Amino acid sequence: MNAVLLVGSLLLAGAAAAPDAGTLLRDSDRARGGLERGVTWTVAVVATDEGSVSKSSWLIRARGNDGLAEALGPPRRKGEVILFNNRSIWWVKPGLRRPISISARQRLQGEAANGDISSTNYARDYEGTIAGEEDVNGEPSWRLDLKARSKDVTYDRIRYWISKKRRLGVKAEFLTVGGDVFKAATFEYGNRVRLAGGEEIDFVSRMIIRDAMGAGNVTVLEFQAPRAETHAASVFNVNNVVR
Amino acid sequence: MTGGWKLALRNLSRNRRRNLVTGAAIALGYAGLVLLGGYANGNEGLIRLSSVYLQHSGHLAVYARGGLGKAQTKPAAYTLDAAAQEEILAALRADPRVEFCGRYLLGTGIAGNGCKTFPFRGLGIELDVERRILSHPQLEPLRDVARPRAGRPLPDAAGEESPVALSVGLGGARLGKAAVTGREAAVAPGALECEAPDVKARIAADPWVQLAVQTHEGSFGAMDARLVSLFQAGTVDGDQAGLVAGLDLFQRLYDTDRVTYVAAYLHDHRDTAAVARDLSQKLAAAGLEVSIYPYDDPKANPYYVGTMETIGAVVTFIGLLLANVVALSVLNAMTLAVLERTREIGTLRSLGFTRRQLLGVFLREAATLAGLSIAAGLVLALAVSAGVRAAKVRFQPPGVGGTIPLVIAPSAGMWVGAAALLLVLALGATWVAVRRRVRERVAKLIVEVAA
Repeated sequence: MNAVLLVGSLLLAGAAAAPDAGTLLRDSDRARGGLERGVTWTVAVVATDEGSVSKSSWLIRARGNDGLAEALGPPRRKGEVILFNNRSIWWVKPGLRRPISISARQRLQGEAANGDISSTNYARDYEGTIAGEEDVNGEPSWRLDLKARSKDVTYDRIRYWISKKRRLGVKAEFLTVGGDVFKAATFEYGNRVRLAGGEEIDFVSRMIIRDAMGAGNVTVLEFQAPRAETHAASVFNVNNVVR
Repeated sequence: MTGGWKLALRNLSRNRRRNLVTGAAIALGYAGLVLLGGYANGNEGLIRLSSVYLQHSGHLAVYARGGLGKAQTKPAAYTLDAAAQEEILAALRADPRVEFCGRYLLGTGIAGNGCKTFPFRGLGIELDVERRILSHPQLEPLRDVARPRAGRPLPDAAGEESPVALSVGLGGARLGKAAVTGREAAVAPGALECEAPDVKARIAADPWVQLAVQTHEGSFGAMDARLVSLFQAGTVDGDQAGLVAGLDLFQRLYDTDRVTYVAAYLHDHRDTAAVARDLSQKLAAAGLEVSIYPYDDPKANPYYVGTMETIGAVVTFIGLLLANVVALSVLNAMTLAVLERTREIGTLRSLGFTRRQLLGVFLREAATLAGLSIAAGLVLALAVSAGVRAAKVRFQPPGVGGTIPLVIAPSAGMWVGAAALLLVLALGATWVAVRRRVRERVAKLIVEVAA
C-alpha cells in the first residue's frame, strides 16, 4: 500500500514539475480574452513612435478565437472597427465601401501589430515545448518555445514565459524568420473576471509592446473594466459588422 | 596628286579581287560599327525618355536630404514640406532651361477588393503635369508604351471621384479587376460573400478598390479609389504592385501636404548638369537642405544607368569583334601583297628609294583602300538606317507593355569616330606587315625572290 502511495506521489510530483505545454498555453490564453462564451473590456492605447505619441481607446468584445475592436477615440477615429475573425483581420472604416482585409505583412506594423499581438491565440496557432525555467521579475516561470502550426500566422516563432504559480503569460518575444527578436511584450494581470459558473480568474490589465529593432518604439495597452458576457457568433461576422 | 599617291592607286588596281574583298571587309565593318553605335544611341534616347517622362524621374529630381533612401520608412522627416516645395518650384520656374516641373509623393500600403488585399507601391502625381507629359512631342515614339493596357489615361479622369490606375499584375491578376468604370451600380457597397460562386464576377465588375496605408503620422489611413485604367509597369516586380493616383488623393490618403520629390523637365537634356549645379547653389543659399539627382545618377535612376551599361557592354564587345575582323583582313591582305612584291621592294630600294618612302607607298595604298571602303560603308549604313526608318520596324522589349520603334540614330561623332578607328587600324596593320620587309638588305630581298 505504501509503495502504491509512493508511486502515486512521485507521479503527481512529476506532473507538477513538467506540465503539458498545450495546457499551459490554453490557461494563459484565457487571461488575455480567450474565453469560450465571451468577454468585454475597454483598452487605452498609448503608442510612442520616434518621439511622437498617439493615443486611442477601444471597446473590445471577444469570444473564443474571435474579437471585435470598436474605436472610441480620438473623435476622428470613432466608428472604426477592427475584426479579428479566426485568423483573418478585417478593418472597417465608416465611409469605405468595403472592409479591408489586413494581410499578414501589414500585421507587422502599426495598430494591427498591437492588435495582432494582444489577440494571438497561442494554443491554437503554435506548437509549444517547454525549453527551460527562468525568473521573470523575480517570478519563477517556464520558458516555452512556440513554433507556428501554419504559414498564415504572423510570427514564425515566439519565446513565451508563463508563470509557474499563476499559469499566466508574463513575457513574450516575437522572432523574425532569421531568429532575431522583432518585438517583445510584457503582461500584467491586475484585473479579475467572474465567469458564468462563479469562478473568478485573473485578467490582463497592462501590456507593454516594444519594437526590438529600429528606434525602440513602445506601445502601452491598459485594459479596463473587463467583464464576462455572452456574445453571439453573429457579432463577429464581417457582413454584420459592415451593416 | 603626288607620285606616291599615284603609285599607291596603281598598285591597288594590280590585285583587284583581293583588294575588293579587303575593301568589302572594311566597308561592312564600318557600316556595322556605325549601325551598332546608332542602335545604342537610339536606344539611349528611348530609355532616357521612358525614364525621365514615363517613370517620372524628370531630368533632375530634388529630394529632402536623405530622402531618396529614407522617405519611404520615415516620411515625416525625409519629405519636402509645403514651404520647401514652393521654394524649389519658384527656383525651377525662374530658370528658362526648365520646361515644366511636377511634384510626386511615393508611398506603400495595401489595396483590397473586399475579399483580399495585396501590397502596393504607389506614386501620387499631379494630373495636369501628367497630361502635359503624355502629350509631349518627344514621347511620340513611346506612345504605345505610355498607353494604358485597359481603360483611359489617368489625367482624363481628373475631376472625377478618386481616380486611380493600377498595374496589370496588381489590378488585373491579383485584385481581379477588369478596369471597368460606370458599371458600379451593379455592385452595391458592403461586405462581399467571398466564398460565393459569383464573387469573382462581382469583383471584376466593381471598379472600386480600397486603399489602406500607414499615414505619415503613424495611424491607419484608408479610402476608396475608383479604377480607371490598368497600365503595364516596366518590371515584373513593379507590375505586381504598381499604383498611380492623383497627388491630392495620395496626400489625403497619407494625411499630409508633403511630397517625396520635385522633378524638373528640361527643354534640352544636355543642360541637366548645369541646371542641377545652378539649382543646388540657389537652394543652398535659401537654406534648404536638399539633394539633387540628375536622371543619369545610378542611385536615383538605376533603371536608366543599368540598361545603358548593359547595352554599352554588348555594343563594345561586338564592336571589338568587328574591329578585329577588319584589322586581320587588312593585315592578311598587306602581308600577301608584301610577299608578292618582295622583288619590287628590292628593285626600288636598289634604285634609291628609302625604307621610309617604301613604307609610305604601302601606307598610302592602305589609306586609299580604307578611305574608299569607308565611303562605301557610309553609303551602306545610310541605306540601312533609311530602310529601317522607312519600314517602321517596332518590337516589344521584355517587361514592356507596348512596342517601341527600332531606332538607328548614329551621331556625327560616331560616323567620324568609326572612320578614324578603321583608318588607324588599317594603317597600323599595314605598318606591322610591311615594316620588317622593307628593312631587309636589298641583296637578300632579291635573292629570296630568286630562290
